[in-house]
Amino acid sequence: MLIAWIVFFPIAAAFAVFLVGRKNEYARDLAGTAVCAAVFLAALALPAVKPSFGIGGILVSGLHFRTDGFRAVYGIVTAVMWLFTSVFSIEYFRHEREGLNRYWFFVLVTLGATEGVMLSADLMTSFAFFEMLSLTSFTWVIHEETPEAVRAGYTYLFIAVIGGLVLFMGLLLLNSAAGTLAFSELSEAVRASDRQGTILAAGVCILFGFGAKAGMFPVHIWLPKAHPVAPSPGSALLSGILTKVGIYGILMTALEALAENTVYGRLIFILGLVTMLLGAVLALFSVNLKRTLACSSMSQIGFILSGIGMYVQLTAGGFEEGAEVALAGAMLHMLNHSMIKLTLFMAAGVVVMNLHTLLLDDIRGYGRNKLPLKIAFALGALGISGVPLFNGYISKTLLHEGIVEGAHELHEIAAQLHAAEWVFLFSGGLTFAYMLKLFICIFVEKNSSEEKQRSYEAKPACMNAASTAVICGSSLVMAVLGQPAVMTRIAAFMTHNEEILEFRAFTLANLKGGAISLLIGAAVYLTAVRHVLYRGGSYVNLWPEKLDLENAVMRPLLTRILPGFFGSILSVFGENRLLRPAAKGLVFIGTFAGRVLCDSMDALVVLMKKTVVRERRSVSPDIGKVTAFRTVREVTQETVGSVRENFSFAMMMTCLGILIVLMALVLLAVFHIRL
Amino acid sequence: MDILIMLLPVLLPVAGGALILGIPFKSERARNIYAEIVVCVTSLAAFCVIAYHPEGRVVLYSISKGFSLAFRVDGLSVLFAGMVSCMWPLVMLYAFEYMHHDKRGGAFFAFFVMTFGVTLGVAFSANLTTMYVFYELLSLVTLPLVTHYGHRESMYAGRIYAVFTIGGASLSFIAVIAATVFGDAGTFSYGGCMNSFVRPGIIQASYLLAFLGFGTKAAVFPIYYWLPTASVAPTPVTALLHAVAVVNSGVFAVMRTTWYVFGPDVLVGTPAQEICLALSIFTLVFASVVAIKERHFKRRLAYSTVANLSYMLFGIELMTVRGFTGGMTHMLFHGIMKMLLFLCAGAFMHQAERNYIFEMNGIGRKMPVTFACYTVGALSLTGIPFFCGFVSKWILMEAGAGAGTALGVAGTCALIAAAFLCAVYSLSVSVRAFFPIAGREMYRNGKDVKEAGVLMLIPIVVFAVLTVVFGTAPGTVLDFIGRIAAGQI
Repeated sequence: MLIAWIVFFPIAAAFAVFLVGRKNEYARDLAGTAVCAAVFLAALALPAVKPSFGIGGILVSGLHFRTDGFRAVYGIVTAVMWLFTSVFSIEYFRHEREGLNRYWFFVLVTLGATEGVMLSADLMTSFAFFEMLSLTSFTWVIHEETPEAVRAGYTYLFIAVIGGLVLFMGLLLLNSAAGTLAFSELSEAVRASDRQGTILAAGVCILFGFGAKAGMFPVHIWLPKAHPVAPSPGSALLSGILTKVGIYGILMTALEALAENTVYGRLIFILGLVTMLLGAVLALFSVNLKRTLACSSMSQIGFILSGIGMYVQLTAGGFEEGAEVALAGAMLHMLNHSMIKLTLFMAAGVVVMNLHTLLLDDIRGYGRNKLPLKIAFALGALGISGVPLFNGYISKTLLHEGIVEGAHELHEIAAQLHAAEWVFLFSGGLTFAYMLKLFICIFVEKNSSEEKQRSYEAKPACMNAASTAVICGSSLVMAVLGQPAVMTRIAAFMTHNEEILEFRAFTLANLKGGAISLLIGAAVYLTAVRHVLYRGGSYVNLWPEKLDLENAVMRPLLTRILPGFFGSILSVFGENRLLRPAAKGLVFIGTFAGRVLCDSMDALVVLMKKTVVRERRSVSPDIGKVTAFRTVREVTQETVGSVRENFSFAMMMTCLGILIVLMALVLLAVFHIRL
Repeated sequence: MDILIMLLPVLLPVAGGALILGIPFKSERARNIYAEIVVCVTSLAAFCVIAYHPEGRVVLYSISKGFSLAFRVDGLSVLFAGMVSCMWPLVMLYAFEYMHHDKRGGAFFAFFVMTFGVTLGVAFSANLTTMYVFYELLSLVTLPLVTHYGHRESMYAGRIYAVFTIGGASLSFIAVIAATVFGDAGTFSYGGCMNSFVRPGIIQASYLLAFLGFGTKAAVFPIYYWLPTASVAPTPVTALLHAVAVVNSGVFAVMRTTWYVFGPDVLVGTPAQEICLALSIFTLVFASVVAIKERHFKRRLAYSTVANLSYMLFGIELMTVRGFTGGMTHMLFHGIMKMLLFLCAGAFMHQAERNYIFEMNGIGRKMPVTFACYTVGALSLTGIPFFCGFVSKWILMEAGAGAGTALGVAGTCALIAAAFLCAVYSLSVSVRAFFPIAGREMYRNGKDVKEAGVLMLIPIVVFAVLTVVFGTAPGTVLDFIGRIAAGQI
């Protein structure tokens, strides 16, 4: 019942909130927040009760939910994120009128759908709710309805739809090869199946489908475009939780179905590394606050994916202990990243709602005298950069530990894993560099225009009490989660593995890894950012415009090359080239055949007249040539006319005859029965 | 007594419809009420037949042993007859508003009502001969509906329609003969009625001809062209006939010939099956691609119908029980959602007096209910969970992947590709309607477009609700269809 409440209540309440919103906007905001709070309270009971729930007869195989440590934690995180963002959105949208009913409606539906995915017990249920949230979150991206928003929305929808369908294909393949989609039965079924090739193919499809939502390379293209145009509470949710929905799917497939498939592990790991590095580089180059944060999300998703990849590789190699470390790292980093991005995007939202711009040059120096905002942002930045005593440090250390373990145990790819370790540390360093860039820009430096700086500092208040509470509240989580005692407990609860409690975060080896990362980051900031990306008193975007995967490859491929290719093939079959001539040809042949038959009959008649039935010729009256011609014509006309009349008359009579026969039949039939 | 009951739903609308032409109605309203009553009574009669469920065949008239007109009620006919009987009265309501002030409304409603009877005749037929007779009648009785507007385009469409459907049916006539000669007089029985000792070459050839012949109405690839052309007809016709009744009677006929006349046993693995499968797979991709290219709203939907009919044919041609289930499920669910889409399209065309998709920017704000319902239909057509299209697609794809043949897997991939194309062509309309790019709205200040009237909205909303209900809780329906597919009823 608890699960039914958490999943279906917000969806049902969405309709009510929508109707309330048509009468009173204030009541709508309160009602929406109350719904989120109710879900939050219910979710708090999840770890204690651990319910499971199923409805048969719905969809194809019914909906099934269950709770374990990881699901319980994520059920709560989801509810927390919604509660905080909805409180914040009340202030964020205070000057807007249009489209807010729609916004609230879809926010609540998405809440239910996200909880549905996070608590699902089989892939079918995950898929059903996943599709739902893909489509409902589309309205956040397109909320502003500016041309950029519409374009980003199309990209988002496009990726969501194509991802959903590929995922669908993956589920079909998995179902046909393993015979089940329930998480609890999958590992057995996969082990017993003799179609490992199909299962791997299914895994790749599923990875693509969920990866599209997670922002995995090469289907990340929607992510850097969608976040800057979406309203900030929406981007906090998109980045904090919807990407995690994708990760959830990848993680569950990896855990339950393909944990022993080295190829699959390697694929996830490599894609994770690429995503991690690419995201970090894009974030460093970006000059737009929310775009930086979005690219940073992508990069952090790469970190999580690399952990999952390491887990699969180590499990497949038979090294359970190392695998558990990597898994704990991945799960914790998911949790941390959700909380961090919640804080950072809400802080960015404060900037947007006051200044209505996101460009670093414009917002420079805005936060100099705004202490709560500054602290919140700083805590988020510290957390994400992996500074010891803050939450990102522990999860990144665990992830790092996983790779080191792999390099130690998996001898055949040890060299590659060493290289991967450096990619990992370097990306971690870049994280620090771009967060430093943002923090210094907004909170330390002064704006190049003094007038602007004065107006920024004239108003120290930038948000109301409720928003301050949620932003600072969420930022404090970084410090709390940063304590190893807390973190390892959560990790043990999520992974159901007590050994993780013995993990020591502050050993020399672990601190060394963190320190290397931070040093790289500081070096990058001091050299690249200060001297290359900052020129003449303003931040410049040196990322070449043309180097955009979407515009350079995907859009042309899908809008020109593929349609061109198929178009040229299909135009052969098109209505004009082939079918019309064919139809005409058929008609011609038919007519010709008819003509030949007809004429041959005539010929027969003529032949018979000439040979067998000779008529006695009467002497024709003597008439002039012109009259003869006229007569012939008149005769012909008369004949043709009568033929035409006779034909229609015959048709009519036939029809009448058929009707009479039919009526007779019916009467006979009835009569027959009566007798 | 059985005969009377069986004949009533077939003859009543034919007679009642013909009378519309004869009775001098005082007003349009009187005529509408009369037509609605006839249709409702017919639906009731059809449900009575379904409920009464006469055992065995009811022979109306038999000329010889091999040629008789007979009716029978079995699972498949219950499905088809039940489906059209639910839809007809609703679409009539819609048609009243749509055809308001049409000068030739009388003729329209006369033929529209008559078509109902003929469709039920197809559904209740007990052997191939009877079905063939009603199938031909269906082509004839719908022809005046296609040419209703009488302008050049619709006359052209009518000509194309007549040539294709009547010509196509003549192909299947050969199969009728073959079934009469080699089978048990073409009497429908689950699993086929062919005598096993006849030469397989002839059987396969005649099956192929039957597929192409009945496939004409199901718009399979080389002979699909009539369907998009016929979308010039009034919307109630395109919605009910060219998305449900007529085209589904084509699919229904293919089901009958495949599962009840020739039987999968003699066809599985033969070239005939492979050709049919390949044709349907090709059609579904081809039509989806063309639908994207199409800019006329109703023609786009018509192409989508072509594609979706091939989904059903694909399921049937797999010749597995699961595939057959998928085919039937999709026949029912596609009927519901495509009807919904066409009714929305008609509402748009009627209210805004525009036809093209690029003229739809921002129309969603003016006609929110219509386009919300349209979006439901579009999502369902794409195959999003919680909408009925998902269920049938899932079963079809499961059947394709589980058939264990190369063409089955190819078909599954094709279905995925087509689903993507479908998302593009159907959802892009919703996006355009609700989220116009700023500055390109057509309906903000311009001509005042109003939401469609109540009579039009009732069927639209009903079908939207059905789409969601069947999408969430398809259990009972699936059980029923599964039992039909397994030959239990």
